[in-house]
Amino acid sequence: MPAVSVRDLRKTFQLKQKAAGLRGSLRALWRPSFQELDAVRGISFNMDEGELLGFIGPNGAGKSTTIKILTGILHPSSGEAEVLGRVPWRQRQELAFQIGSVFGQRPQLWYHLPAVDTFYLFGKIYELDDRKLKGRIAFLAEAFEIEELLETPVRKLSLGQRMRCEVAASLLHRPRVLLLDEPSIGLDVVAKQRLRMTIQRMNDLEGVGVLLTSHDAGDIEALCRRVIIINDGEIVYRDKVSALRRRYLTVKTVDVRYNEQLPPDFALPGVEMVKVGRYGAKMRFDTRVTPVGPVIGGLAAAGSLADVTVSEPSLEEVIGAIYGQAESKDG
Amino acid sequence: MGRQIAFVLALWKTNLLSAMEYRVSFLTQMAGMMLNNAIYFVFWIIFFARFEEVNGWDLVDMLFLFGVVATGFGVGTYLFGNAVRLSLLIASGQMDYYLSLPRPVLLHALASRSNASSAGDCAYGLLSFGAAVYFAGAFDILMLLRFGLGCLAAVTVLISFLVLVQSLTFWIGNTNLLTSNAFNAIVTFSLYPITLFDGTAKLLLFTLIPAAFIGALPAEFVRRFDLAQLAQICAGSAIFLFLATFVFYRGLRRYESGSAIQVRT
Ligand SMILES: Nc1ncnc2c1ncn2[C@@H]1O[C@H](COP(=O)(O)OP(=O)(O)O)[C@@H](O)[C@H]1O
Ligand SMILES: [Mg+2]
Repeated sequence: MPAVSVRDLRKTFQLKQKAAGLRGSLRALWRPSFQELDAVRGISFNMDEGELLGFIGPNGAGKSTTIKILTGILHPSSGEAEVLGRVPWRQRQELAFQIGSVFGQRPQLWYHLPAVDTFYLFGKIYELDDRKLKGRIAFLAEAFEIEELLETPVRKLSLGQRMRCEVAASLLHRPRVLLLDEPSIGLDVVAKQRLRMTIQRMNDLEGVGVLLTSHDAGDIEALCRRVIIINDGEIVYRDKVSALRRRYLTVKTVDVRYNEQLPPDFALPGVEMVKVGRYGAKMRFDTRVTPVGPVIGGLAAAGSLADVTVSEPSLEEVIGAIYGQAESKDG
Repeated sequence: MGRQIAFVLALWKTNLLSAMEYRVSFLTQMAGMMLNNAIYFVFWIIFFARFEEVNGWDLVDMLFLFGVVATGFGVGTYLFGNAVRLSLLIASGQMDYYLSLPRPVLLHALASRSNASSAGDCAYGLLSFGAAVYFAGAFDILMLLRFGLGCLAAVTVLISFLVLVQSLTFWIGNTNLLTSNAFNAIVTFSLYPITLFDGTAKLLLFTLIPAAFIGALPAEFVRRFDLAQLAQICAGSAIFLFLATFVFYRGLRRYESGSAIQVRT
């Protein structure tokens, strides 16, 4: 049995439109006016026990909405979903004992209190035995390297420190599935790296399944074996992360600047010149066709280098490429 | 039941820890609220100095009334502080937090905040009750019991009323203005001598704006035992509690969360 199964799930939001003031409120009672917005349009997928599954997509794609349905926060408009054999919006409380959730944009730690106070409150909420809770806190504090942070009021922690405390809090009751919605939002590279490591570690140690959403493909690449890409409420791609990398993350963009002027006909074999200026150029090449080595060598040979930036395609470009392919297959 | 009691006690303890961070503002808010109530009561002292009584209500009745109402408001908004912010919590998507934890959502949300100014109300209410007992010249342990029960009823109906009004948020979006109007109405009407009203106005105070259950009814009951009043108080509390719970959970199915960035305070 999969840990999470979703069939043709849909969610339409009704955006309430209401005139301001008391009169507007009363009128809205009699004659509400709505505008509809399809946030999730019929998605289906499975996640296995203990799997690390990535869910990526640009802002507004419907990731958070999906996660909220799976935790029982939102009722779907139609379709089916089961998490650990339970229908989230019907068996919300039962399910909540078995899963953990973290929303990057919605902290659960009490802002003015040290994290450890929220941990103890969660202990009562989850009905954990006091002695076991102490042991669990000590274990998680070490795993997440937050021993020194637990006694500090949460408002004084950095975002990265806070997020590690958040994830630790969601694991107090040993959930079998963890739903993480953009846990890395706003974090710097180092903090992101650290968070990814701890999530990986808890998956190794306790086999907790993790459904992770992000709009940063890097999170998914680092953590997940399988990825689902969602755009505009629909699944546009699903496969192993390695396949995604092989197929779509092979196009590199290079920005280069020189200390001296470039010849106007500057070119390299197998590289598409996007723009050539007097002191620099922007170009693109596919590593499956043109290996990286010769390109960098060619750039160095062309003159005295001032700066080079090599970048991978953004998630938007990957999704664009996937769409392009789907269309050419259809046509 | 026992499970939920242990849980709510833990919540209240956490609220207290959170309030300790602001001891100074706690004390000033408490003193401010007591002063506020006292000034309002002076108006009634002047009023009754001229008229002696209104259809059978005298100044001692007013002392009992203020005793029950202020204690009820104080205890209610201290233990269930989010009762005055429910609309905001619903409209801004902050119910997400309560929905993702394995506890009854309404109870969890209501008990997750304590208002500092409530302590002022509570202290004032107890003083007023003390004064009422002194001037009435009659006291026994049963009166204390009746006071406890009266305050419990006031808390129940007050919180239920606030929940009912703000549950409208599920259907029509933020109801800030409606909420503050309803709150002012219930405070104002529960602190009036009920004998001022009759007919439709009185009916309103038992239904749409159930101020009678928060003020006059329990206050009269505290002063002298009356079986019919006891039955009314219990029935009223049960009905409003049921209605509030029913309407809230009906609305919760329509809850649409929110996507704004949030801070938990
Ligand atoms: N509570 C809500 N009410 C109305 N519209 C919403 C609500 N939450 C999300 N939406 C809309 O639904 C779409 C999907 O949002 P969301 O699931 O938050 O996307 P993501 O998490 O992928 O950024 C967006 O267009 C968003 O504006
Ligand atoms: Mg989101």
